Amino acid sequence: MQVYLPIAELSMNLFFLVGIGGAVGFLSGLFGVGGGFLLTPLLIFSGVPSSVAVASVTGQVVAASTSGALSYYRRGQIDLHLSIYLVLSSILGSFLGVWIFGVLRALGQLDLFISLGFLILLGFVGTLMMVEAVRSILKRRAGIVVREKLPNQHNWFHGLPFRVRFKKSRLYISVVPVLLLGFCIGVVGALLGIGGGFILVPALVYLLRVPGNMVIGTSLLQVVAMMAATTILHAVTSQSVDIILAFCLMVGGTVGAQFGASAGKYLRGEQLRALLALLVLAVAIRFGVSLVIPPSNPFSMAVMGIGGAI
Amino acid sequence: MRRLLIALGFGILASGADAEQLVTQVSSEEVAITSSFAGQTLTLFGTIAPEAGSEQKFVEGPYHVVVTVTGPLQRRVARKMTNAFGVWINTEQAVYEEFPSFYQVLSDAKLDTITNPVTLAETAIPLDSPSIGKTSAPYPQSQLFRGELVKLMERKGLYRLNEQGVIFRSDTFYFAQVVLPSDAPPGPYIAHTYLFKDGEIIARKTNGFSVRKIGFERFLGLASRQQPLLYGLVCVVLALFTGWLGGVVFRR
Repeated sequence: MQVYLPIAELSMNLFFLVGIGGAVGFLSGLFGVGGGFLLTPLLIFSGVPSSVAVASVTGQVVAASTSGALSYYRRGQIDLHLSIYLVLSSILGSFLGVWIFGVLRALGQLDLFISLGFLILLGFVGTLMMVEAVRSILKRRAGIVVREKLPNQHNWFHGLPFRVRFKKSRLYISVVPVLLLGFCIGVVGALLGIGGGFILVPALVYLLRVPGNMVIGTSLLQVVAMMAATTILHAVTSQSVDIILAFCLMVGGTVGAQFGASAGKYLRGEQLRALLALLVLAVAIRFGVSLVIPPSNPFSMAVMGIGGAI
Repeated sequence: MRRLLIALGFGILASGADAEQLVTQVSSEEVAITSSFAGQTLTLFGTIAPEAGSEQKFVEGPYHVVVTVTGPLQRRVARKMTNAFGVWINTEQAVYEEFPSFYQVLSDAKLDTITNPVTLAETAIPLDSPSIGKTSAPYPQSQLFRGELVKLMERKGLYRLNEQGVIFRSDTFYFAQVVLPSDAPPGPYIAHTYLFKDGEIIARKTNGFSVRKIGFERFLGLASRQQPLLYGLVCVVLALFTGWLGGVVFRR
């Protein structure tokens, strides 16, 4: 059944859209990430203009992360104080990201930048995750009991000025790295249409040393708030949020996420992380290959300016 | 100007002797884009009749009919990738103003058997006519990029030359079917019909139709342009609600 997407101005199969939304939702529920990094490329490869894909996926990420964030909130596993700092700085960052998005689109380099961004970001994060996961799997095989690092072990940047006490996370650290982290994720999220959960989670764990039970909930809340702001910004500046496309993805995504979350209980943490790392690396390689191999047709086209008649 | 008037005068005199006129019609003047829009086929049909008020009682062929359908004009850019430092990036581009977003040519025989290249060029019928789209790009580049743009549009199904597209049902009655794909841009469309006899255009006719979103699709399109802030807020509320509902429904 075909459904017409009024902003993308093309029609796509409804079941295909709900299906990819569901498949990505399943993975996002399984791994606890938003899934934007999979959905945006999938949409672009299936013919949706990249600006519409990026802007509409932000809406889907909000929906996918909301139910997760709510359930963590009920369990008291969100550090609201820390979230406020992260959210405010990331919203500032997303202003910059959306502005860069507009400039790149006008220059005709948006697609290149999205490919490069995904390649670098996913390649980097994927490799790190893979190394970490393989190490802990090997250690477990060898029978070594892994002692989790204590939250009060500090890095040098925790001692920067403007120290704030985050009671729930039992941290007393400088807000400078927190704000910087939020800002960077805001820029990247707006540019690539991703929530940044897969960057934020490792950053919270390894850089800020947030306790494990607070990490996922805090990251999810941050993703919801930031992507909500980004959706509105995209709607105002590029007017390329397709609400029908976003809704189809949301419906699939929320259902898929529930099944993913229950499937996740049968896998161990490091196995999950290794699988996620594989997935992230696969997407990165796909983008890398498309940059390097000669295109079948070096010519491409685009419509300039915002739409035509209604 | 005067020369044109004289030419026109001669034209009228010349066609007075044996004058044909085209009577044409489009099957629907408004194509509505609804939520289930998956493209539509339009029929352009017409008949060749003696000019009103002329002595003639019947017309004699053989005739050829060429129909062109032009969609709303856009500002379109063609870009070329080159390899820089091992990475393929867009380096050259040419911007075309008033470039038709949709262009199809239908005829009942091969264009070059219907008429000579000069007439074809004057009427700008062929897909890659230099008069399609205005550009500030310098000459060789402007032609090259236009050609590539047309090829890309052909691949998307928006441009097409169909030399069996016009079918004669009798000596004077023809019809032509135009396929609008699902991503046909909304806006005004113009259909030009040219009647050829012995390689000369002896009559022409213009019909218009419009493709427009109606109902909810139109409402959404308008809202995203006119109330972008509200539109964005509604998207977010919808997302939050969907997420919340998903959590409630599946909570065990």
